[in-house]
Amino acid sequence: MSVLDTVASLIFYPPIWQLLILGFGGALVVAMVAVWFERKAAARVQRRIGPYWASPRLGGLMHLMADMLRYAFQQVVIPRTVDFWPFIAAPIFGMALSILPFAVTPLTSNPNFWPLPPALMEYSLLVALAITTLPPIFIIVSGWAANNPFTIIGGVREAFIILSYELIAILSLFAPAVAVGSLNIVDIVQAQGLVKWFIVLNPLAFLAAILAVAMSTSAFPFEIPESEPEVVAGPFTEYSGILYALNMGGAYMRRFVFGLLISLMFLGGWYPIVPGEGFILGYALPSLVVVVKAVVVVLAISFLRAIYGRYRLDQALDMAWRLVLPLTLAGILLALVEAYLGIF
Amino acid sequence: MPPKVAVKPLPKRGGLLAGVSDNLAALMIGIKYFLNPKRFSIYYPKEYPELRKGYRGFIILNKQKCISCAACARICPSAAMKMIRVPVPHPKEPEKTVMKQFPVINYQRCIFCGYCVDICPTEALYHVNYHDIVYENLAEMFWDLDTFQKEPEYPTAEEGIPVRLMIHEEYGLLKVPAREKQG
Amino acid sequence: MVEDVRIYGGWKDELGLKVVPSKKIGKDLYEVFIGPQHPGSGHMRITVRLDGDIIVEADPDIGYVHRTMEKLGEIRGWIKPIPLFERMAIHDACNITMPYVLAVEKLMGVEPPLRAKYLRSLLCEINRIGAHLYGFAIFGVFLGHSTMYMWAMGDREVFIELAEALTGARLTHSYPLPGGARRDIPADFPDMARRAVNYMRKRLKEYEKIFLNNPVIRSRLEGVGVISKGLAAELGIVGPNARASGIGYDVRIVEPYDAYPELDFEVPVFREGDALARTMVRVEEIKQSLRIIEQAVEWLEKNPREPIVDKYLYGKYPPLHKKIMESEGRAKLLPISAAMKVPKGRAIGRAETGRGETIYYVESDGGVNPYRVRIVTASARNAIAFKYVLPGHKIMDLPAIYGSLDYFPPESDR
Repeated sequence: MSVLDTVASLIFYPPIWQLLILGFGGALVVAMVAVWFERKAAARVQRRIGPYWASPRLGGLMHLMADMLRYAFQQVVIPRTVDFWPFIAAPIFGMALSILPFAVTPLTSNPNFWPLPPALMEYSLLVALAITTLPPIFIIVSGWAANNPFTIIGGVREAFIILSYELIAILSLFAPAVAVGSLNIVDIVQAQGLVKWFIVLNPLAFLAAILAVAMSTSAFPFEIPESEPEVVAGPFTEYSGILYALNMGGAYMRRFVFGLLISLMFLGGWYPIVPGEGFILGYALPSLVVVVKAVVVVLAISFLRAIYGRYRLDQALDMAWRLVLPLTLAGILLALVEAYLGIF
Repeated sequence: MPPKVAVKPLPKRGGLLAGVSDNLAALMIGIKYFLNPKRFSIYYPKEYPELRKGYRGFIILNKQKCISCAACARICPSAAMKMIRVPVPHPKEPEKTVMKQFPVINYQRCIFCGYCVDICPTEALYHVNYHDIVYENLAEMFWDLDTFQKEPEYPTAEEGIPVRLMIHEEYGLLKVPAREKQG
Repeated sequence: MVEDVRIYGGWKDELGLKVVPSKKIGKDLYEVFIGPQHPGSGHMRITVRLDGDIIVEADPDIGYVHRTMEKLGEIRGWIKPIPLFERMAIHDACNITMPYVLAVEKLMGVEPPLRAKYLRSLLCEINRIGAHLYGFAIFGVFLGHSTMYMWAMGDREVFIELAEALTGARLTHSYPLPGGARRDIPADFPDMARRAVNYMRKRLKEYEKIFLNNPVIRSRLEGVGVISKGLAAELGIVGPNARASGIGYDVRIVEPYDAYPELDFEVPVFREGDALARTMVRVEEIKQSLRIIEQAVEWLEKNPREPIVDKYLYGKYPPLHKKIMESEGRAKLLPISAAMKVPKGRAIGRAETGRGETIYYVESDGGVNPYRVRIVTASARNAIAFKYVLPGHKIMDLPAIYGSLDYFPPESDR
């Protein structure tokens, strides 16, 4: 076995492949496209052109590339008053944990391409959701470490929002698992098959999931922690350069992860493609379908920024506990009824 | 009919039905504009707006009409215009010269209010209908008497297509080409 | 590190000197300085003291864009201050200079011809719509509604275009003169104005759908920042903010000027006094302004063109000036206006600008310069509302209240 083979096998070792190449690289591209779409779609609704001059033929897609380069090479200013190590570490850990769920999310039913051994895949949904709850802690840490009134208010707001909406996101994503009776993502997708998608069978949970994802990942109109007119950029006020990009990128990564989970749980995963043998049929095509569905979910959330304003913090919490949580519970009840009726 | 005060009730909205329908209405109008944005943006250097004839742009001097009354320099609110003395040929004896006053302008200070044009008793000053000219340094914005008599070069017009914004009932403003295409 | 030098009731700076804040902060209050370098503050600072999420105390700190308008108004003759005063509220240029012109007219004892009055009122209403749309735009971005921002700014462009066709400048029109106006309407103006009016009426319905009836926005506005009728009267709030609290005070009614007594329009008043009422007043005012534009344009079209400067000035016109007035509709100034003297006396001019009543007190000692120009703008009178309205609200209500008060620092600081 030559060195090249070793390197190739290392790269294509599913966890590494999925985490680093697909997870990080793919999510970076998706984040770029999502930001671009967000800006373009909002521009259309707002009767503007949006990004244009950087690359007129691509519709200004290169603007985002330029933005990324700018963030990458900008001077990182670290104020004297911050708590140095948490300030530096929080965005890095936040970003790392944001992309970690890719490592446990199967994108095909072919066991050769699962990121984890089949025995561990039994609890893939549980593990993925457990990891998604970690990054917000680092947002709060970064807000606290920056030691500034705005960052602390922003951090506290983030805590409030996470407490209420993260719960809803997890509960609503569990609804399909309840109906199918399995925590294995592959099982859930297989159970949905070609037509029995949970967006049709359980629209309540789907709606709750979309709302919760938009809120808990601070999609634009719902970015209460980073609300510009009162708390400049919330927890990220003191950040600049690459650290700011990591913070902001982390939110997009989380949204994409949730998008992936929603597309697997509610939108039928890799169906209508039935994964077969080999790399193309067994991995490339199904994962492409899943990613495309996830991107559609992310873009739909992005589109809302053009329609809605920002809720007040107490109104957002009020909505979570009074409206969306009952909706989620109703969704789980519906899932129980479906399980009782034996649809799957 | 004289104006009057009218006390109005605040339109109330509430209930689940209104909540759902209002959300849907907002989404629908968003999608409507997403599909047909009706935009009137001008891609600026590629296109440029050709302004109306009465637009108060750069001010140019017609030296032949100037009677050196200095009214323009006195009315200028930002003191952008000053009178300078230059020798001109004597009207009757061509070999002699006499000193005459002419206005010059400092475009660092000019606010394009057009008072100088309106006060000029002989219409020696006039506006051109553009004002988007970039100078490389501040010194170029002091116009001497020769520069003040020539209409400045308008580089935007050489590079771009002139468009005109028309007020339209459906689109608000409608971008139309200002002139027929040549050839 | 800074934490080490923190001592009770203040802190030590780098030289070891004790720095004590000018005002003692309650033990468990959190002091946040919103502004002057803050995306949501404008050119002012609001010192907010928070108890948890609730504002306990708010101090508006104004004056960051003070430009000595009053003093500058004393040194540059009688006509030249007009372009200067426009800079106070640049999107409300004709309205904000109107009271000055009215006051100078009173001193000079001239009366503009009716046509000039209609022209001035026409531009005032175009400016009022522009100012309200500008307010909506800022309000939208304060509430995180970027579409409202862009739509209002885009639709404002229609009215800027109208004003440009009338005056020759987009924003700094310098349009009214003591005893007249500067330009008559161009031939295609009535058509343009009617199209713009019809367009704006359609757009207001769409604004309602996406902004005013949007459940998220409504929940941000309803019952927020209530100024009761008594409080509004006590604080001396003017303009749309007072009219939202049930005070039917409008200079166009109380002391009609220009063509307003002859026009048919309503002054909308709401009783609720909350942020939503303040927003709705502006929407209704835009509707009324559209009506006024229609009427003014119709009048201007129907009646024959006449000189748009007062008789005395027109009597002194040389033939060339008369010809220009006839052919181009452009009012020439006489060289004497550069250094004209105004009879001794004092006058007060009042006008309803987009944000409320603006008063100019002009005193003349018979010289070439005003002896004193005192300016009280609408925003200057509304600024005090922050102190009394904000306490008791949540910190996230601050932008909603700020935006709904439509406070404009450059106008207030003069």
